[in-house]
Amino acid sequence: MDTGEPLFDGDASPDLRDASHAAVRAPIQSLVNEQAYAVLCVQGEGQPYGALVAFAFSEDLRFAVFATPITTRKYRLLSECDHVALVIDNRSGLSSELMEVEAVTATGRSQVVARGPEFDQWANLLISRHPYLKSFVRAETCALFCVHIVRFLHVARFQEVRQWIPTAHS
Amino acid sequence: MDPDRPLLISLDAPGIPDDQIVGGKAAKLAHLMRAGFPVPRGFCLTTWAYEAFVIDARIIPAIRMELGRKSMDDMRWEEIWDAALRIRSTFLTQPLSGLLQTTVAEGLQLFNSSTRLAVRSSAVGEDSAGHSFAGLHESVVGVRGTRAVEDAVRLVWASLWSDAALLYRQELGLDPARSRMAVVVQEMVDADRSGVAFARDPRDLRRDHAIIEAVPGPCRLLVDGLVDPDRWVLDRATQGVVSWLPGQREDSDQAPLLQSEDLQHILQTLLSIEQLFGWAPDMEWTGRADSLTVLQARPVATVMPDDDAKRSWYLTLRPGDARLKALRQRIAGQLIPELAAAGEAFASEQLDQLDNQQLADAIEQRSQALVKWKKIYWDEFIPFAHGVRRLATYYNDVVTPEDPYEFVGLLRDQPLLATQRNSVISQLAQQLKSNPAVRAAVEELLTSQTHALPWSSFRDALLQRGGGAEEFVHTFDEFQERFLDVTFDHERLREHAGPLLRNLVELSRYSDPPEDHRVSPSHASATLEEKLLVAVGSERRAEAIDMIETGRVSWRLRDDDNLLVSRLDSQCLRALGVAATRLRELGRLTGDGHLDDSYLARLVCGLREPATAVITVEDSTKSDVSQSSVRPQGETPRQLIGQPASPGIATGVVRCISGRDDLGKFRRGEILVCDAIQPTMTHLVPLAGGIIERRGGMLIHGAIIARELGIPCVNGVRDVTKILKNGDLVTLDGHLGIVTVGAADFDLEIGGVH
Repeated sequence: MDTGEPLFDGDASPDLRDASHAAVRAPIQSLVNEQAYAVLCVQGEGQPYGALVAFAFSEDLRFAVFATPITTRKYRLLSECDHVALVIDNRSGLSSELMEVEAVTATGRSQVVARGPEFDQWANLLISRHPYLKSFVRAETCALFCVHIVRFLHVARFQEVRQWIPTAHS
Repeated sequence: MDPDRPLLISLDAPGIPDDQIVGGKAAKLAHLMRAGFPVPRGFCLTTWAYEAFVIDARIIPAIRMELGRKSMDDMRWEEIWDAALRIRSTFLTQPLSGLLQTTVAEGLQLFNSSTRLAVRSSAVGEDSAGHSFAGLHESVVGVRGTRAVEDAVRLVWASLWSDAALLYRQELGLDPARSRMAVVVQEMVDADRSGVAFARDPRDLRRDHAIIEAVPGPCRLLVDGLVDPDRWVLDRATQGVVSWLPGQREDSDQAPLLQSEDLQHILQTLLSIEQLFGWAPDMEWTGRADSLTVLQARPVATVMPDDDAKRSWYLTLRPGDARLKALRQRIAGQLIPELAAAGEAFASEQLDQLDNQQLADAIEQRSQALVKWKKIYWDEFIPFAHGVRRLATYYNDVVTPEDPYEFVGLLRDQPLLATQRNSVISQLAQQLKSNPAVRAAVEELLTSQTHALPWSSFRDALLQRGGGAEEFVHTFDEFQERFLDVTFDHERLREHAGPLLRNLVELSRYSDPPEDHRVSPSHASATLEEKLLVAVGSERRAEAIDMIETGRVSWRLRDDDNLLVSRLDSQCLRALGVAATRLRELGRLTGDGHLDDSYLARLVCGLREPATAVITVEDSTKSDVSQSSVRPQGETPRQLIGQPASPGIATGVVRCISGRDDLGKFRRGEILVCDAIQPTMTHLVPLAGGIIERRGGMLIHGAIIARELGIPCVNGVRDVTKILKNGDLVTLDGHLGIVTVGAADFDLEIGGVH
């Protein structure tokens, strides 16, 4: 089972607490609202791989969406293994303020969205967040991935980790 | 509205407006109005309005995307123009927010609904003392009605990022996050006399002279260079006329356009403005004597601050509509037929029958003709190529399509020489396909020859083999005559039929017509034409038809002029070849090197003076630029970026084309990598799996032909001819403008660290 991880390596044991969604949802929501890009973590045949992606989340935070050209390594890896993580943080401008840095790791399963009404719906969500990516997202050689988020791990104050599992009713 | 951030300021509002809020032009106009100078009524949409629009419409990231695609220092002018077109399209397709619409409506309450308005740029920092960036940003005149004003405002805002402004980005300090543009909306005042006046002579500010220029009618006739003005030089101290030069105008009766009292009034106004601001003004004005209206005042600038001659030349490549039309008539009606006739005349000349003196004359005549036509090419043909770009902005302004290149459909099916050439190539390939014996004979001859055979020898050998090669030979003869009298890589293609014959054999193996991937019928030329004419309305129908015609002729001729000038070059080389053969036979020329026009003077001298020294043609082996790699050691390119010039995706091996011999090596399905597709190599395009060019631009040759044939193309890829090597496996994505180098099946880091 995934037990979550602290922001940085250290001797201290991670402080993992199950949090009531009401408390942890707000900082998670803030991070995904404030930040435009996430590190997408994928894997293939045992090899981990990370790449920056522009993302958008559904209002209930149960789904995330991003796009990638079909000629990329991440596309190929995603085609073979749908387990992904998205790391979103607020380091920029705070590099010397360790205790102020917050990060959220969202884990889940990704699925490429076929062209059609569902594609339009997810594409519009991503484009409304990143209007300058309109032609990129709509290009025939661009794949749109929807991630069904299973769990969020929110990290603050260096070692404080809280977990939240979004549900349809949260 | 935040009172500290007003979106609108009336020109006659109390207080001196801040240059940072209303821009240079509006600040000066407001200042003049307050000081009692006659200035047309109006209001200013402030830089806060611009900011509200770009933030609301989220345009800043779009500008950053365009300008960050590659270093702007690496962008050719056409690429900068493309970036500006896409930015412009982003501005034009975004609606104004409710608040901004209300603000514009509020400003327009100053005027009647039928008032003709001028919507003009007022950029922050423009026209500061000693610098003038006049002409970089747009103004729209003759605007009526709320909707039209909104459209014009967006257009003026977009012109902060015009191609010309982007060329001067460093001087202007252009920055998507910080740069702002205010807009002045004023009532148009056009009297029967207008002009420009300088408190000091811009050619020499130290002289105590003022200059007044006047045209009959509105000032824009002068500013746009459409009418030649009368010009007075006045002595600032005595206010007397030093000289008067009448303008060269049709139907001009040569009577001065201004009387003494008009001149005195204009000079007085200039000097009063100088006193007000403390700098010598350059003023646009309209009206006479007491009814004089000041349209604009800014410091006299000597010249555009420029240390880059190329850049100022680019600015001349954007002729106005009237100049474009005049160029169209002159180029299509006179120059192109003359150029074609010159090539034809040279080609029909029997050089072998000339004596040495006559041959020397013929060489010089060809050389002089080539120099003359190259000058015309640069002075007139190249500026006329702007007709296509002008059609683009005209179409986009009126139709505001989502795809800023939708207008390209209007250029479809133009009878280009290159298209006619490719159609005969297709016919030749079909002939080889339907006659395998002839194809086999051609292949055998190509394989067996150790040296390149001229077509004349090749054809004889082919005919001797029988097998019904007559039809093919006949078609090829005609083709040679009509289309191969051009140069490629400084050599006559006629004398090197081998590469093309190899291409024909290759094409004949797959010579089914290329699959038609053309854009959907809705983009067909007639449909787009109708779309434009409906959008423009009956009042401007004739103007739109004229604009389409200029665009089409511009597009057609930019291609044909290249081939026709190349024919003169070829004919020049032909005459040099005859001279070289003659001198060689006389033992007065040695060496096997390539004969080019650098030997012209020596050959002419050799023909005229039998006593001259023996000429040696050096063997100057050309360096293969395409293979001089710029890959740093240990670094492997993985993904290159360029412009998505033709949609589609293709994987194949690279074939770099840099010289004539490379043409014949091209195989179907290969990825054609070159500096730029030239009109003389377009026949390779149907064979190519995809195209990658270093030269960028959505309207350059390769891009348009690739789109016509539905072949993926990425262009504007920096250093691509040096980064990629023959045999490299690449995948190019013409939708996104990316080139992935290496196998699609990525190496995974399996099995530990190597």
